Amino acid sequence: MGPAISIEQLTFSYSGKESPALKNVQAEVTDRSFVCALGHGGAGKSSLCYALNGLIPRFFRGTYQGRVVLKGKEAAQQTVARLSKEVGLILQDFEAQLFSTNVELELTFGPENHGLSRPEIERRLTHYLNVIGLEAFRHRQPATLSGGQKQRLAIGSVLTMEPDILVMDEVTTDLDPRGAEEVLALAQALRQTGRTLLMVVPEPEMALEADQVWLMREGEIVAQGPPLDILTDLKRLKSCGIKPPSFLELFQALNWPGQPLTVEQALALIRDHRLDLQESTPSSLSMAQIQENSPPILQAEAVTFHYPQIQEKALQGIDLTIREGEFVALLGQNGSGKTTLAKHFNGLLKPGTGRLLVQGKPTSAYSHQALAQKVGYVFQNPDHQIFARTVEEEVGFGLKVLGRDTTTIKKRVTEVLEVVGLEGSEKRLPFTLTKGERQRVAVASVLAAQPQVIILDEPTTGLDYEHQVSIMNLLKDLNQKGHTILIITHSMWVATEYARRTVLMKDGTIILDGPTRRVFAQETKLAQAALSPPPLVRLSNALGLEALTLDQMVAELSSIIPQRNQENKKI
Amino acid sequence: MNIFLYLDHNTPLHRLDPRTKLVSALILFGCCLCFNHPLFLAVISLGVSGLAFWSGSLSNFWRLRFILLLLFLFSLLLWPFFVQGKTFWWAWGPFSVSRESFLYGLAMGLRLTTFVAIGLVFLSTTRNEEMTNGLIQMGIPYPVAFALSTALRLVPTFVGAGATIIQAQVSRGLDLESGNIFKRLGKFIPQAVPLFIYAIHQTNTLAMALESRGFDPGARRTFYYEPAMKKKDWLVLGSFAVLFCGLIYLRLGMALGVVFPGRL
Repeated sequence: MGPAISIEQLTFSYSGKESPALKNVQAEVTDRSFVCALGHGGAGKSSLCYALNGLIPRFFRGTYQGRVVLKGKEAAQQTVARLSKEVGLILQDFEAQLFSTNVELELTFGPENHGLSRPEIERRLTHYLNVIGLEAFRHRQPATLSGGQKQRLAIGSVLTMEPDILVMDEVTTDLDPRGAEEVLALAQALRQTGRTLLMVVPEPEMALEADQVWLMREGEIVAQGPPLDILTDLKRLKSCGIKPPSFLELFQALNWPGQPLTVEQALALIRDHRLDLQESTPSSLSMAQIQENSPPILQAEAVTFHYPQIQEKALQGIDLTIREGEFVALLGQNGSGKTTLAKHFNGLLKPGTGRLLVQGKPTSAYSHQALAQKVGYVFQNPDHQIFARTVEEEVGFGLKVLGRDTTTIKKRVTEVLEVVGLEGSEKRLPFTLTKGERQRVAVASVLAAQPQVIILDEPTTGLDYEHQVSIMNLLKDLNQKGHTILIITHSMWVATEYARRTVLMKDGTIILDGPTRRVFAQETKLAQAALSPPPLVRLSNALGLEALTLDQMVAELSSIIPQRNQENKKI
Repeated sequence: MNIFLYLDHNTPLHRLDPRTKLVSALILFGCCLCFNHPLFLAVISLGVSGLAFWSGSLSNFWRLRFILLLLFLFSLLLWPFFVQGKTFWWAWGPFSVSRESFLYGLAMGLRLTTFVAIGLVFLSTTRNEEMTNGLIQMGIPYPVAFALSTALRLVPTFVGAGATIIQAQVSRGLDLESGNIFKRLGKFIPQAVPLFIYAIHQTNTLAMALESRGFDPGARRTFYYEPAMKKKDWLVLGSFAVLFCGLIYLRLGMALGVVFPGRL
């Protein structure tokens, strides 16, 4: 069998950009194989996907050198529409990909474009509705589906064109954990049907099942090979801005033998090598981390809320007290009420019944402006608020509407830009910054009003690992300076690594609330909300350890078994 | 929140061919233009309300009740000042209201709301795609029809994004509730710019998704929902045509239903 895709010395620069998005890319994908691509933001992963279905160079103009050959046909010589019979591309942003008024029509759009007969369209429709598991939703509007269902529909809408090659660009990134699981399961199932599959994935753990892993950095494929070869080179992974697999990092740090990639493998290795660890359930986990003494700053008392035209209450009697100086993570699936609750704290929503207090005063007693100075709210997408011509103007906007004088504004802007690590960027155009930088501008613009509490909705979504770490470290700093931080997140490792307290929501109620370590020890409760601890914490739970982070685990393990550690070092 | 007007019921109106519904709606528009006496228009309004009830689209009327009421009141209150009648009721300087002008205002209010109501019944019973297909069958080129339906489809998306943007700016202290008109215009920029950028981004992604799914405006394509004119469609169209001719005869032949003879 010949290769399904062969990329030969592909170099591409978007018109108007100086540095190429893809540099001398040379790669081959065997027919019916599964390839995962990893890389930092801006590494050229999406550009590579676009080059495979002809969007580059047909839709995105620029300088194109080299060749992409798909099943013997040269991609650049075909129209995108023609290529859609061979290659199906699914994008990260599932909202913008769906445009029909019901599921059925979404799925038939491709076959209609290919001019297929009605019976054939009908056959494909029935078949692929079954494959994506949306039979029951055939007549539903795509807008009313959950995130995971929407992305499955987007995949289905490409499948009905029956392409041999499927290219998926970060299809799980915008989804909550349950949605991501659904989509990954679908991708697995598709692999069994003999399709060639290329997936851009955000985390190395998702690439374990692949035949080949491509590692990308600054437009180049710096390494390609079987997952074990690529994923075990931690140094190279880090240099590409990728979060290394936790267990490899742990075992390397402890100098233990073996290269486990999953919890099961790690536990088996620990057992095999009799690393003298008793497997047990965590018992006396510390409670000391919660701040019982400081005064409450945000209080919800029996808060209920429901959106107009929706029967189910979005919040069903929430009682929650957040104290000054806390760092809280709010977890739960989409639709569990996290964002609804958070929007109550800065007065964007008013409780149906119950009370909401900020520093002991109901939110209704504050004006929006007064509340904005107490509780800052950073929205998920920085682009929903950026409008100004310079970073300086953007960050100073809040202060300007609050009526501060120009010297104060100027001084404060300089201060907060330094805090978020954007000093010297005052005169830059916000839209030319990277996503991570724009996120920082959004944080800075909220910080400028010096709110005591900062609420962030999904601060790490859509950022690569390096940017995630840097924004979270920024929040950690702010927390140490006395700010109360509340983050809404789907990222489990972000919660365990940074939040001291975790609140878990499900169907508009709080089902768990306590020190992060405690919450993450309760795997069954988490599973009820379709969440699971990050791999490292699962291992920690299985071994009865206290540790939540890699450093803590290394310290804890080396104190438990110093001798064993020593012996291994000698070998 | 339901962002489309289409209501997925299975009524005789839903089952009609989109072309039938489109032409019927146009004929009904025409009927509204036949008279300017409120009584005659009220009969038409009543008929349209009957259609709305029959097609189960009353929930949409309830959703848009304020807009409908506002349209009606505006016409009722403003029109009397712009037409001159004979039987004066009240006058002040250049402003006057007469019995005829009041009746005319009432008629215009009914006409405007009925216009909207006809459109609403049409949109409540016709899918976006059906409308596109209908237009294509009537000879409108596919790219034009598709652009039209996509534009309609994007409105709710942008409304949703606009709401988020307003929330984001209010969270930063933007006060939308006070200030004179010029101050308020200034506050428009922080809302408009992100929405504009969002719109560009959104349409760009949509264009990519369309091309990736084989969309080619020039190529021959098939339709999964193939509308077919049935006997009942012709029957409906025929009845409406007869009705329209009858109404025109009432107005032109018998000069009925008129407050101001020279006006529409």
